[in-house]
Amino acid sequence: MAITFKKMNHTYSPDMPYAFHALKDIDLEIEEKKITAIIGHTGSGKSTLVQHLNALLLPSSGEVEVAGFTVTSDKKPKNLKQLRQKVGLVFQFSEYQLFEDTILKDIAFGPKNFGVSEEEAVKRARAALKIVGLDSSFEERSPLDLSGGQKRRVAIAGILAMDPEIIVLDEPTAGLDPHGSREMIKLFHTLNKEQGKTIILISHDNEIVYRYTDNTVIMDHGEVIYSGPTKELFESDELVEKYSLVLPQLLELKSQLQKKGFSLKKHYDDLEALIKDAAKEVKR
Amino acid sequence: MNNIVFGKYIPIDSVLHRCDPRAKITALFLILIAIFLPAGWYGFALIGAFLVIGLLIAKLRPGMVLKAFKPMLFMMLFLLVINIFSVKTGDLWFSWKFINIYSDAVLNTLYIVIRLLLMVTLTTLLTATTKPLELTLGLEQLMKPLAKLHVPTHEIAMMISIALRFIPTIIEETERIMNAQKSRGVDFDEGSLKEKISAILSLIVPLFSVAFQRADDLANAMEARGYVPGAERTRYKELIYQGRDHVLRILSLLILAGTIVLAFVL
Repeated sequence: MAITFKKMNHTYSPDMPYAFHALKDIDLEIEEKKITAIIGHTGSGKSTLVQHLNALLLPSSGEVEVAGFTVTSDKKPKNLKQLRQKVGLVFQFSEYQLFEDTILKDIAFGPKNFGVSEEEAVKRARAALKIVGLDSSFEERSPLDLSGGQKRRVAIAGILAMDPEIIVLDEPTAGLDPHGSREMIKLFHTLNKEQGKTIILISHDNEIVYRYTDNTVIMDHGEVIYSGPTKELFESDELVEKYSLVLPQLLELKSQLQKKGFSLKKHYDDLEALIKDAAKEVKR
Repeated sequence: MNNIVFGKYIPIDSVLHRCDPRAKITALFLILIAIFLPAGWYGFALIGAFLVIGLLIAKLRPGMVLKAFKPMLFMMLFLLVINIFSVKTGDLWFSWKFINIYSDAVLNTLYIVIRLLLMVTLTTLLTATTKPLELTLGLEQLMKPLAKLHVPTHEIAMMISIALRFIPTIIEETERIMNAQKSRGVDFDEGSLKEKISAILSLIVPLFSVAFQRADDLANAMEARGYVPGAERTRYKELIYQGRDHVLRILSLLILAGTIVLAFVL
């Protein structure tokens, strides 16, 4: 297991009258080298949960084991920097974290902080820029001149250049156009498949969750209410009903067709295969 | 960042929370004057009792006030040391080699400490029970007579309320950017001077760019809704004095009168 939460709680401003118990007795395991989605309503504790992964927040009680480190309530792990190098966290609206005068420098900022030499950092920055789909003409431009989507790519490149084992993304596609978000998710999918990175994705888009993730965690009011394989979750009518999930297109179409009496296979990889089968039935 | 207590609104419900902001601001000024009158121990006791009752009514814990007072403790100690060496009047209380402590040195310091404590309690009572926007609304209403002297009261109040409105937003923004940069290996607590400067830069530059963007958006949003500076405006929430507001104003007037009597008559 890459990450294990054990009876973890988190309370914001514990001594104040408005103390808020944001996470309640979290027991959760997240598999290594898999893509895990965390879904749930706004305010359900998703962002709070992931901020424990690199010890930005410490648990109020219980503990989290991440990549061989243990984060507990009383103190930060000794080698905090090593932990933060291993767990790369990309925040919501990450485009606002850019500050250097050139894009290349900004991407190289992370690795340099972790003690990588100047040359190596620049080399990694160039590679990361390419991975996120921006060509070398961007290297010397100012990050503040880019469009929102491009800025976000640069911010993500800044995390990739740190070469983390675990990449945590808090709604990486929020505010991007459909094409842009598709490209973004494909990028993480490739990183997972080709480089074996463990990826944790907070998302509101069940289309993406269903298509690209291996496991899904559902959070509600600070509690984990489901954790298991994504396909099983979405393909079980009972679970979909129980957690009132919005079905992805593919499954929605399938269930509508089945209601009309089409006999279809139990599982389809993509929309195209489903439509082909349905077309065959119509011809018959 | 969330640990800053001083000047923070505590969102609970109490009679004091529901009081008219104008009444609370007036009370603050009256009591503030009372604190600075030389009314002696009885005066302090009178004001102190009033404030403690205020804290109880507002359901605030005294610990909160003490927490806000803590940063000033060092300054107070420093003051005590200076007073011990400079004030040479009153009775000699303690003498050891070259150190002579006179009663006035200790008493003077104690006076200042108590005055500060009362002031901190007083302002905490106001800010903890009044939303920033109510506060500016109250200020604007109280400043209204100055408009006759061509003081742009509405614009001043608008500026204050915008500034106050964006404090939490900017704090939130600061936290988010700090977290993002910490995730990129920035250490805001330790490091050499050069690393510290780089750390601060990585916070300040994005923060400014966000702040400017917000200012721009806000200006556009205000214009889109037809905002004209200084135009006659109506309010959704009209401030009307209730019974409790009169009680508050009368009580604070009585306290001021009491301290005046203690200071100048008795």
